[in-house]
Amino acid sequence: MDINLWIVIKLVVALTAIILLLIGNSVIMVWVERKVAGFVQRRPGPYAVGPHGLLQTIADTVKLLGKQIVIPGSSDRLLFLLGPVLCMFPMFLLFLVIPYGPWLTGLEINLGILMILAFTGLEALAVLAGGWASNNKYSLIGAARTVSQSVAYEIPLILAMLALAFTAGSLNLTTITEGQSGWVWHWNIFKQPLAFIIFVITCFGETNRAPFDLPEGESELTGGYHTEYSGMGFALFFMAEYTSMMLVSFLAAVLFLGGSNGPFINGFWWTFLKMGLFMTFMIWVRWTFPRVRFDQLLNINWKWLLPLGLLNLWVTAIIIKLF
Amino acid sequence: MIKAIVNNIKGLYSLVVGLNITGRFGLGAYPVWLGLRKPQDGYPQLTTHYPWETIDDQDLVTFRGPVELIPNEKDPAKSKCISCMMCVKCCPSNCLTVVKADEGKAPKVWLSDFTLCSLCGTCVEVCPAHALRFSHDIYWTAEKRGDMVNDLLAKLAKNEKERQ
Repeated sequence: MDINLWIVIKLVVALTAIILLLIGNSVIMVWVERKVAGFVQRRPGPYAVGPHGLLQTIADTVKLLGKQIVIPGSSDRLLFLLGPVLCMFPMFLLFLVIPYGPWLTGLEINLGILMILAFTGLEALAVLAGGWASNNKYSLIGAARTVSQSVAYEIPLILAMLALAFTAGSLNLTTITEGQSGWVWHWNIFKQPLAFIIFVITCFGETNRAPFDLPEGESELTGGYHTEYSGMGFALFFMAEYTSMMLVSFLAAVLFLGGSNGPFINGFWWTFLKMGLFMTFMIWVRWTFPRVRFDQLLNINWKWLLPLGLLNLWVTAIIIKLF
Repeated sequence: MIKAIVNNIKGLYSLVVGLNITGRFGLGAYPVWLGLRKPQDGYPQLTTHYPWETIDDQDLVTFRGPVELIPNEKDPAKSKCISCMMCVKCCPSNCLTVVKADEGKAPKVWLSDFTLCSLCGTCVEVCPAHALRFSHDIYWTAEKRGDMVNDLLAKLAKNEKERQ
């Protein structure tokens, strides 16, 4: 077997950097979300713990670490403990394929989009494991709804990304990003505006976030897949949600908004800036719109996003064939 | 069919309107930066940020704080209370203690235990001499349970002395 040492070293360094990035992301995002939520509701948000509440996340983490992990007696122990772990850990691999800068990719493979879509399905399995193992009928219903929502929203996601792959000619994320270099109007959002709208709505559906968070908003009422989890299990589910938010924001930045190409100085900072703006947009949307009912949620997907995605793909294919 | 599409586009526009409404406050209050609003008008935040800001008395006119005695017109250091014990009997939480003086109708001891008081207003309503009212003392804190027992006669005397 011919293992290239350079690739192995690059993988290890990239994985370490990604772990640090994800942990830092969770810490910062919790603060940003609570502050923006406070401002939207015309109140200060966390203010007392550090200067302007900056150390609030550390206080929360210490509290969650110190909590007792209560396992329901008649639950399936292995699956119960496996649920959050299965949700969180595959995400580390996904950040390897994203091109942060012109030469800054953990693992440049020709099937970047396919890898990302495959792991999105794995998250549904983890949620189902957590919901089933809780031995709680509300958890099970919440988990079933999450899975059906995730699976349903994958299809317009695939269609939007396929349209992009058509225009760029490859499934490689780096190629798609490089196709947007040059001026601002070369960005994919101007070439495929309908795909961008479909992608944005699907983002909210895939990450169980913002107006489509019925499976997780139910946890404010009855259950949801993380009812029976306390302490570290809950923290892992929480971190998994922020991580998937960050993944989807990176995808939006890289696929549609030009990646590391900015109006002027190109570099990896543009990717992070665009990712931060998109995440702030997701938080903004969460605190603006009321929650969508579950059948309306699936209606949006099957009656509007899927036909629009197919229409977009059809028009893209015609235009590419003719010109 | 066309009507449905037009309605949906109008619906999507309403989403943008909603985003603008929350964005004005949530994303750093850009109307203040552009000079369209002033931060003193309570924009963007409506919360009175205690302890740096407190609410003035004029906004607390209908607020129910701990119960206090109303000073007498003739002698502001004394109250109008005639020690009839109506408030003591009617209080559902048994938080009042009134002891009549040996001569005359004025009370000797008048205590209100604020750890039990539920601010229901029965004592204020029932007093035949109209000697009780709600104060507006909302920033009162104490560290021990015993500190929350209000000696209302002493408070009247103190208020009178402060006024002079």
